[in-house]
Amino acid sequence: MEQNAKWLALAATVAMLALSVQMFFAFDLNASGYQMVVDKKWVTIDQFELRYALGVDGLSMPLVLLTTCLSVASVLVSFSITKRPRAYFACLMLLVSSVVGVFVSLDFLLFFLFWELELFPMFLLIAVWGSGRKEYSATKFVLYTIAGSAFMLVGILTLAFAGDTFDIRLLSEEGRIADPLIPLGWVFFFLFIGFAVKLPIVPLHTWLPDAHGDAPTAVSVMLAGVLLKMGGYGLIRMCVTMLPDQAAEWDVWFAAIGAFSVLYGAFITLRQTDVKRLIAYSSVSHMGLVLLGIGALGDTGLTGAAYQMLAHGLITGLMFVMVGLMYERTHTREIARLGGLARQMPLITTGLVFAGFGSLGLPAMAGFIAEVTVFLGAFERFEWAVLASILGVVLSAGYVLWTLQRVVFGPVKHDWDGVTDAHHWWEHTVVVGLVALVILLGVYPAIMMDMLEPAIDSIMVRVES
Amino acid sequence: MPFLAEEAHAAAGTPSIGEPMLWAILVAPLVAWALIAAYGRKFPTIAGYLALAGVGAACLLSYYTLFNVMDADGGIRQYTHEWFSAGSLTVNLGVRVDGLTAVMLVVVTTVSLLVQLYSTGYMDGDHGEGRYFAHMCLFTFSMLGLVLADNLFQIFIFWELVGLCSYLLIGFWFHKPSAAAAAKKAFIVTRIGDLGLLAALLLIFREVPEAAFDIAEIQHWAGGHLEGNVPTTTVVTLFALGIFAGAAGKSAQFPLHVWLPDAMEGPTPVSALIHAATMVAAGVYLVARFFPVFEASGDARDVVAWIGAITAIVAATIALVQTDFKRVMAYSTVSQLGYMMMALGLLGYVAAIFHLFTHAFFKALLFLGSGSVNHSTNTFDMRKMGGLKEFMPITFWTFLIGSLSLAGIFPLAGFWSKDEILLDAWRENRALWVIGLCVAFMTAFYMFRAIFLTFFGTYKGGEPVDHHDEDSHFHGDPAHPHESPWVMTLPLVLLAVPAIAAGWLAYDHMFKDFIEAALPEVHGHGSTFEIGIAISSSVVALAGIGAAYAIYMKKWVTSESIRATFAPFAIIFENKYYLDRLYEDLFVTRIMQGGWNRLLQANDKYVVDGIVNGSGRLAREASSRLRVIQTGQVQGYGLGIVAGILVIVVAVYAANPL
Repeated sequence: MEQNAKWLALAATVAMLALSVQMFFAFDLNASGYQMVVDKKWVTIDQFELRYALGVDGLSMPLVLLTTCLSVASVLVSFSITKRPRAYFACLMLLVSSVVGVFVSLDFLLFFLFWELELFPMFLLIAVWGSGRKEYSATKFVLYTIAGSAFMLVGILTLAFAGDTFDIRLLSEEGRIADPLIPLGWVFFFLFIGFAVKLPIVPLHTWLPDAHGDAPTAVSVMLAGVLLKMGGYGLIRMCVTMLPDQAAEWDVWFAAIGAFSVLYGAFITLRQTDVKRLIAYSSVSHMGLVLLGIGALGDTGLTGAAYQMLAHGLITGLMFVMVGLMYERTHTREIARLGGLARQMPLITTGLVFAGFGSLGLPAMAGFIAEVTVFLGAFERFEWAVLASILGVVLSAGYVLWTLQRVVFGPVKHDWDGVTDAHHWWEHTVVVGLVALVILLGVYPAIMMDMLEPAIDSIMVRVES
Repeated sequence: MPFLAEEAHAAAGTPSIGEPMLWAILVAPLVAWALIAAYGRKFPTIAGYLALAGVGAACLLSYYTLFNVMDADGGIRQYTHEWFSAGSLTVNLGVRVDGLTAVMLVVVTTVSLLVQLYSTGYMDGDHGEGRYFAHMCLFTFSMLGLVLADNLFQIFIFWELVGLCSYLLIGFWFHKPSAAAAAKKAFIVTRIGDLGLLAALLLIFREVPEAAFDIAEIQHWAGGHLEGNVPTTTVVTLFALGIFAGAAGKSAQFPLHVWLPDAMEGPTPVSALIHAATMVAAGVYLVARFFPVFEASGDARDVVAWIGAITAIVAATIALVQTDFKRVMAYSTVSQLGYMMMALGLLGYVAAIFHLFTHAFFKALLFLGSGSVNHSTNTFDMRKMGGLKEFMPITFWTFLIGSLSLAGIFPLAGFWSKDEILLDAWRENRALWVIGLCVAFMTAFYMFRAIFLTFFGTYKGGEPVDHHDEDSHFHGDPAHPHESPWVMTLPLVLLAVPAIAAGWLAYDHMFKDFIEAALPEVHGHGSTFEIGIAISSSVVALAGIGAAYAIYMKKWVTSESIRATFAPFAIIFENKYYLDRLYEDLFVTRIMQGGWNRLLQANDKYVVDGIVNGSGRLAREASSRLRVIQTGQVQGYGLGIVAGILVIVVAVYAANPL
């Protein structure tokens, strides 16, 4: 019974993946607005009608695909788990559903519900199945997010009263929020704080290295791969689309904080001694680019930001998978103890080198397209922020290659003589699948760019008006 | 890929070559790579044959392309397709072929093919033979993509990919800490230059977004021919300097040259192909590609010329004191690349590309020759060699031809191309001409120093094989050196042919006219030969050989006494001008790993997390204090309520007095 849990979880996530792929093919690239909408009346409180409204547009569809792909990956990398697998996979499934829920909600309160729902399985997954200071990290993660959510809830409620609805589609319409008594600047700020914690930005980022460091592999994959994207998604969907005037006031801050996060994250990454914390800090650096792209408030910048979320999700997901496979065999994440593993684990090494080059933005991989698009989009308005951020290009080469040198290259260490390479079918499937997706998005960017285009266009209509 | 929009710029003198042919050049090595990557592990023996087949096919197609372009006198043919668009950004994928591209195609595929052949002997029995050939095919693919690209974005893509291949191949023997470190250094140092290239990419998109990075459009723009968008000189200079920064990284120009000598940690055929003939020349190619931009900016040209000259002389002086055979060649490459850059800065587009062309052959020959020596002696240390002329006649004679060509001795290839550069220097800038001559002297000297130490005198035994090293695949006995197998000597002989004769293409301005057709307008110099320049450079080169002969063969003056006389200089040269020390001690250790980053991390740990943990503690302590009030006694609560109401009443009356 306990062992069947993983098969059930795999079946469920594969079904999700299949359905999302079917949605991808059914998606009408020429239509603007939301598609495949489900809209049911749910609860009515006074003038407010809460709806169970779901749907996708060009912005959320790619993120749904990202989530379903990484869900299958995280189930597969958990296949060898032995500690209470039933509870573990139950938590994982709840996590997956809540994240998808965040991306497809068309009702702001429903969005918030899913947003909060995700905390519960995450807390358990880190606190029970984690390692190291796992209780501290889990608590820190939850408290940080809840603190951000408190701000966000105030923002949501104010916005709903101002616009007389929770419906995201209506709130995004021009002229909907016209009440002059509502301090929209503060609303924007509150929403921003909620999303910024999740992204994360410097200085609201210190939960991330702790959570990543102590979480099990699959949770790291989900956390880096999709949970951070909830922040970027929220910023674009809510902050920029609903409050474009305030966004235009704040854009310099977006660019500045983005560039600062890129550099700060990269510098600190250079000093990490734990592989997983290292990847976590590199995520801070990479997500800074999302904020920079959003701050540009242009079609190219926003597209770049959205693409960066996809690219970072796949590449960092792969990175955590590779490190996880390594950890399973060596039981250490300390860089100083590892070394020379290329001989003992040629396949894992190949995967790690690939992910590393993806992370430092090598062309023909997804990350390059995203980074360059962000830079090109933001350069016209924030030359200084872009010129500062491109220093991150050298720093990322520094930390990635230095890590590879210390972890997999150099003389063979006899401590690790007995370790095996990746040899299970599920390990191969995950690695090959993610590698293929990273290359696909790197050589055929139009597959996602064409989908993002109508959604970004309709956001730009709001921003420019 | 969505090849929707198709446009072919057809004009008079346009090559007739079809699009599939051009893509096929690119795809052939890629297919070989994919097959080796898929099957190389299971069948390592086929990897070499697959590589030969893939690169051979690309080579044949390249020669076909060359002849086709020659029929059109070097004219331009371009095929462009939209790759993707993001808002106002449109990025294209395309191929462009003209005289310059055709020359580069032939150089890259010819050298690559011969190096693959050589590698089947040199790498035979290595653990990672399959991996080796896969990387080499990927490199050939990337390099061909770089020269075929029709826009700057695409150039940047392949530019980074050749960097990846360089990294993988320098670090091929990754279990050696020195190789792993050298690979990292190469990638990071060239990436510093790439920042400039990236900035140039951003700049050009801001200035002319509608150009979609197209090379012809950018040339047009820089020349001031774009209606309604005539750039200021400052913008053109910034763009040119960005391009040059990228070029300086890849082509190992001062002060970013430090990675190339270390790159010699890779297998020798890799050094021959990537770090001598092709990739390191990509920077020269890039500057030549955007030559009209440099023509439009005198300041940028001055920077290029002086950086090139400094590189040439700095590297040549270091080469004088190297004891490692391969490092002599490495510094020589840096020096010659500096020569080419200097030429470009002096408006010598033709001279630079011509030298790139001849240098590719004789330098590849010299590297493969040094590999052949290593194959038999198990070392690159010249102090452990000597007298190899007797044991390795083919290697010796071909190496001699390569050295004479590099030294610039009439009538070999290097003579013609080097003279063109010196002629341009003579016309444009006499100071640089003097530097050029000094470098020519040193070049002849250090090459013949190497030859006398390696091939003449008595053999000093080589490096004994370490049988405990499981990674060594050395066959034979270094104490009894022998000539290399035919797969290794044949490429030497074949490369000796262009090392002798490639310069003769200068006859009747053939080469000049062919590659100048790639430029939108020609302002360059007329004649490419002048007898006075030729005599002066020949005298200098012969003097260099003579000096080496006097010191290392006849020992009329000992090298020790010269070293003692010029001790301060010798120490600077031997320490490579202390640049590595500067970079590693200051930037890497002190700044990156030391103070600065430590500060940031402390900020994370104590300031940011201090606030986070502090607010947690605050909440806990506040709650423990407040808990005391919650006694459960109704009287206490009642008192509180009454007091509260009183306060409110007083406050309301205070605010609104009756």
